[in-house]
Amino acid sequence: MKFSDFISTKAIRADLESESKEAVIRELVQSLLDAGDINADEQEDIIAAIMKREELGSTGIGRGVAVPHTKHPSVDKLVGTVGISVDGVDFNSLDGEKVQLFFLLVSPPERPGDHLRALENISRQLRDDAFCRFLKQSKTPDDIQQLLNEADNNHFV
Amino acid sequence: MLSVESLILFTGVLLLLGIASNTFSTRMGVPVLFLFLVVGMLAGSEGVGGIEFEDYSLAYAIGTVALSIILFDGGLRTPLHTVRSVWKPAAVLATLGVVITAVITGLAASWILQISLLEGLLLGSIVGSTDASAVFSVLGSGGVNIRRKLADILELESGSNDPMAIFMTVGLIQVLTNSMPLGVGLAMLFVNQLVIGCVAGCAVGYGGVWVLRNVQLGAAGLYPVLATALALLAFGLAAILGGSGFLAVYLTGIVIGNQRPIFHRGILLFHDAAAWICQILMFMTLGLLSFPSRLLEASGVALLISAVLIFVARPIAVFLCGGMFRFSLREMSFLSLVGLKGAVPITLATFPMLAGLSGADQVFDTVFFVVLVSALIQGWPLPLVARLLKAEEPARFRPPVSLEISSLHNVDGDIVDYTVDASCPAAGRQIKELALPDGVVVALLVRGTEIIPPQGRTRVLVGDNVIVVLRPAVRALVDRVFTPRPADAIQLPAAVEFPLRGSIRVRDLEQFYGLRMNAAPDCTLEDFMRSQLPSQEVHPGALVHHNGLRFRVREIAARGTIEYVGMTFSAAPDPAAQTEAAEKTKPTEKTKAESGPAASTKSSKAPDAASDSPERPDSER
Repeated sequence: MKFSDFISTKAIRADLESESKEAVIRELVQSLLDAGDINADEQEDIIAAIMKREELGSTGIGRGVAVPHTKHPSVDKLVGTVGISVDGVDFNSLDGEKVQLFFLLVSPPERPGDHLRALENISRQLRDDAFCRFLKQSKTPDDIQQLLNEADNNHFV
Repeated sequence: MLSVESLILFTGVLLLLGIASNTFSTRMGVPVLFLFLVVGMLAGSEGVGGIEFEDYSLAYAIGTVALSIILFDGGLRTPLHTVRSVWKPAAVLATLGVVITAVITGLAASWILQISLLEGLLLGSIVGSTDASAVFSVLGSGGVNIRRKLADILELESGSNDPMAIFMTVGLIQVLTNSMPLGVGLAMLFVNQLVIGCVAGCAVGYGGVWVLRNVQLGAAGLYPVLATALALLAFGLAAILGGSGFLAVYLTGIVIGNQRPIFHRGILLFHDAAAWICQILMFMTLGLLSFPSRLLEASGVALLISAVLIFVARPIAVFLCGGMFRFSLREMSFLSLVGLKGAVPITLATFPMLAGLSGADQVFDTVFFVVLVSALIQGWPLPLVARLLKAEEPARFRPPVSLEISSLHNVDGDIVDYTVDASCPAAGRQIKELALPDGVVVALLVRGTEIIPPQGRTRVLVGDNVIVVLRPAVRALVDRVFTPRPADAIQLPAAVEFPLRGSIRVRDLEQFYGLRMNAAPDCTLEDFMRSQLPSQEVHPGALVHHNGLRFRVREIAARGTIEYVGMTFSAAPDPAAQTEAAEKTKPTEKTKAESGPAASTKSSKAPDAASDSPERPDSER
């Protein structure tokens, strides 16, 4: 599964403003709403579901990266977005570092395979330090989009 | 006048006292400049030292030279990325911020002291700037690490705001002595100061870098001297052409510092020492110049003015300027409170004296007192304030000692001396296992008093000093291998792992990921892990493979419970790449699953190596 299969181009944000964990999740979900990928009625419920997943263990996986995700019945296909926070957000990551790079995923419950494959793809790409570093340095959504394309074309791993 | 011999004696004693008070300051958290001033005052005509000193023009000369060296040193240490990331807010604070601070303080001063508005403004301008060395000596000695962005802004603001204060002071003195009318002339003065200062600073900086790179000097000791000469050249050139010498010298420092000239570290070291000497001598001279008895007389009104400056003028200036940028309330409060005053105001306060303004005595005494108050009231509690306003960040590790390859040619290489700690990834490994990047050589191992010539199979032990020759470009990679990890951080796995608490229910995991985990739905992840591993194998690094997911014991608490489990989505089947990859991954997965517990015995010692190698087939896919 490639980034282009689930990352919503219009929802990519290179300048997240939030300073707290919940606020940044809200901001990312808002970006999906603005891009027309989710319904306004379900927004709060999706945020709650993502926060619930965070209770199992922070999706801050270290090195300034977090991958908040959840399943939600309101989406009929996997949707995701990428966001960069220049100053970083405290996300309770185990390594204590602030998170600058966010991948947020919402997947339909009936397709668990897609969910896992998308997470696998993100995990595999994030193993490449250069990919992470370039993403964190991105200034515009276009830069991010381009990096995702390059990753899809196996330029990094 | 003192004889030369006694002057030398006094200088030696004063420097020693300065160094002693620095140690004291580090212990007590009192700003060091405060102590320097006090020592100067004690040495003066009204103190125990009894040194008569009332030469304002000499004090001004010492102050100016010292400040330009201090600013040059500051510039040398200001990395370009700092400039790039925060120059906008810093520039606004350094110009508009100074004006606002000066005007508000000036209005208050003219009312409190019952002096004319212009004289009040003069006083305001003199105390309008924030002092770089003051801020950083306080923050550094308090053991506080303030957040990068805030530190960068403060550093850049305080390094570049002196020209504004100097310009306002000089301009107002000229107006007050009737040598220049308010208006166009003053504006021109400002533009000249700024433009000529910038041009001279950059020109000397870039020219200097060219010279430092291309000239072959016979002695290494001459390179730092050449740099100092460039600093003085920049200052003098700008000042004689009517520009701001302080701005010029700061810019020259930034340009030279960022171009890594030959003997870079030597230059830095030399100027670090020079800046210290300048600080000590400057503050002591200024302390000598003051009369504590007169300060006492000025104390009442000066306290009032300090209060206005600290609690009204600076906060208003910061909030107005900061409002243009995205700062949080806490950040702006912190920036407001760290507007420490330092040597610049006192040096500037000698200007009216030299110009022969009436009331200059009063201005000097008031300014002096304001600086003392600012150093104490703002400086002392600064570490606490930083903590309260959450402006701190976790302490960074002390960087390993690096030595420059002492060649007079421009060698792109460093020698770094790493001390191996139990928590550093290299500990206990053979050198050939360290996966060092190209162009990196482990030159020497020092174990106790013994020198070990390193070979591929030499093992790096805890407590060893490893001396590594490297190109600066790969420094970050090498640092990761040899520097200790922060004590509370957990070893980061090579693969991207999602941490899960051991106490969560398997049911929740099944729900979130649509899994079937063959375990009672109510059992915890810890129970699941224990059910899949032989009991003696439950330690950090132990692996359980399940449904294409990999679970790794990440952290075990002191009482033996599994605190964290890392979940990796490494082997989820991908229909696109499945057909051929399945053939390859299946067998590997099987061996992994079988060798999992066995491998985990080893992996408790070196989790990275053990968990990394079986990963390879996936990552190459």
